[in-house]
Amino acid sequence: MRLLLIEDSARLQSSVGRGLRKAGYAVDVSGDGEDGLWLAESNEYDTIILDLMLPKLDGLALLRCLRQKQNGTHVLILTAKDTVENRVNGLQAGADDYLIKPFAFEELLARVQALCRRSYQRKNPKIDVGDLEIDTAARVVMGKGKTIELTPREFKLLEYLAVRRGQVVSRAEIEAHIYSDAADLMSNTVDSTICILRKKLNPSGSSLIQTRRGMGYVIEEKPA
Amino acid sequence: MNSIQRHLSLTLGAICCLLWCVGSFAAYLAARAGLIGQFDLALKTDIQALANMTEQSEAGFRFDSSGEFMPKFQRDDHPDYFQLWEPDGSTLYHSPSLEDNHDLPQRFGTLQSPTFWNVTLPDGSNGRAVGIRFAPKEDEDTPRSPGAPPLTKEVTIVAGFHRAELDNRLHYLGTVFLLVGVALAAATAVMVSVIVRRGLRPLSTLAQHAETIDASSLQLRFPTQNTPLELRPIGTRLNDLLARIESSFMRERRFSADVAHELRTPIAELRTLAEVALKWPEDRQSTQNALKDALHIALQMESIATGLMALARCEDSLLPMHPESISLAALCDEAYQTLEAKARAKKLTVHLDLPPAACWYTDRTTLRSIMSNLLSNAVDHTAPATAVKVCLQKNGTGERFLISNPSNGLAPDDLPHLFERFWQKDAARSSPDHCGLGLALAQAYAQSLGMKLDAELNRTEVVFSLSEATPCPRA
Repeated sequence: MRLLLIEDSARLQSSVGRGLRKAGYAVDVSGDGEDGLWLAESNEYDTIILDLMLPKLDGLALLRCLRQKQNGTHVLILTAKDTVENRVNGLQAGADDYLIKPFAFEELLARVQALCRRSYQRKNPKIDVGDLEIDTAARVVMGKGKTIELTPREFKLLEYLAVRRGQVVSRAEIEAHIYSDAADLMSNTVDSTICILRKKLNPSGSSLIQTRRGMGYVIEEKPA
Repeated sequence: MNSIQRHLSLTLGAICCLLWCVGSFAAYLAARAGLIGQFDLALKTDIQALANMTEQSEAGFRFDSSGEFMPKFQRDDHPDYFQLWEPDGSTLYHSPSLEDNHDLPQRFGTLQSPTFWNVTLPDGSNGRAVGIRFAPKEDEDTPRSPGAPPLTKEVTIVAGFHRAELDNRLHYLGTVFLLVGVALAAATAVMVSVIVRRGLRPLSTLAQHAETIDASSLQLRFPTQNTPLELRPIGTRLNDLLARIESSFMRERRFSADVAHELRTPIAELRTLAEVALKWPEDRQSTQNALKDALHIALQMESIATGLMALARCEDSLLPMHPESISLAALCDEAYQTLEAKARAKKLTVHLDLPPAACWYTDRTTLRSIMSNLLSNAVDHTAPATAVKVCLQKNGTGERFLISNPSNGLAPDDLPHLFERFWQKDAARSSPDHCGLGLALAQAYAQSLGMKLDAELNRTEVVFSLSEATPCPRA
């Protein structure tokens, strides 16, 4: 899942960005409104985390601009402005959620997860794929009653393929949604992660994740 | 409930009704007196006719009754009465209607000015009597010797007349006056109520308008067009007051929002740093960086707390004051030293053009804090490679310490906010090194010293001026 964090406080950029990346998200960061708007329009994000008091372009103006251009990316406003009027204005401008600073990082993470789920029309945090049960809230994968240990990046990749079950997902899409610009993205990073994931999910050999040569990867609706 | 409209309606209505009653009664009395006067005039004519019918001679008195004149004294139904007395009090004549054993009361005036009074007639009905005493004319049929003295003996006539017709008229008049009075009083009460309500309508409108104004609608104003002259000053003054309250509310809201940002953001930073570091403790380098950031945030919050406490001390006049003669040039140099490196980094040209002899008598520490804040503000907010000028200006008998620098986007509308706590030109408040307390502190310090700190825009420059409160004692 790819997120855009638009926040002018360098320390919050750093700490929130780090936490989200640790949680497995690909995170792009912007420090002002104009740059943030350009990034939001240029890339496809699952969720945008938006501060309101921004240099160059105010957060609400940015949000209205996005909605006017029919950009439907989910937006979570993260601000110190806490009055009812502020919250109403933010939600009426097109925000999907509103969180007031200071905040609990776990709450931010949970809200971002909920918004990402909504991006794929899912309300249930658990995804069942064959023998696998992926709990996106607890960030746990169970296979035949046993927990399968995955890194955050591997978990995100599996979650992304699972939520797009039945669709062939290209390598470029995976790179865009799972790996941020900052990541050291080698040409075979996606392939090697898929390979590791297959081994962890099914050491015996038959793979849940199918390769469509020249197109990408897919998890079938009804895996064999 | 106390109500002007009700009070005015009741008071004016009562007064008008009272005036109508008194006026009606007075008019009734006047009309009544007129009717009685007319009635008495008729009685006077009648009694003078009776007097003309009385003659005297040396032999005595004679009343010449005439059949044509007498009918009103002879009729069977409600006859009138008269009685004529000789000087010795014996009855000379009386009307046939008066029985022998009944005498009319004797009261009299002169022939020209008779006496009138109300009386109960012998038949028991109400009547009005008239009485005169006069000397009857001499009997022409009885000749007298020439040179004989005139006959001057006087007789008394009293006549009693029925007054039922007069009473009926008076009763009718009284009824008419009473009904008209009541009708006029009722009409007056209604008119007074309507007039008072109409007259007070602008006041009611003003009150209704005032009721609609609360903290969420301070932008509303009282209408002053088409308002009565008497209420216009009230509307204007209330509008001025509302404008001041609105401005105060906006300042308060801005202050709260600024405080929220200045305090919430570092707390949010601290909390996120700590939570992320605790969640992934294995990343030692990131944890180390988080601790450094936390220290920096703590210092930043300490600076805000120190500024706020200094402001509180200023407001409570708790700053220690030790006035002394201070060389402005030396103190300004001292204050600038800590900023010199920053000014050099921004390639600023700083002109400290203060005469060496310039001397103020005030508290050194507080004045130094003012200079530091003003210089720091100039160095921080001036565009790189520009000039900051510090000079002294004669101001009448006193002096003004001036600091000017390019305004760097400052607008005239910003001037009233410059000294507000936490105000920053940048609405995003993106600079972590400033919280907007420096100029507020400088002004609070200046007020503690009895000085005045102002700011004005001169085309492209913003000029801060600090006026001297106490001249330096000369040796």
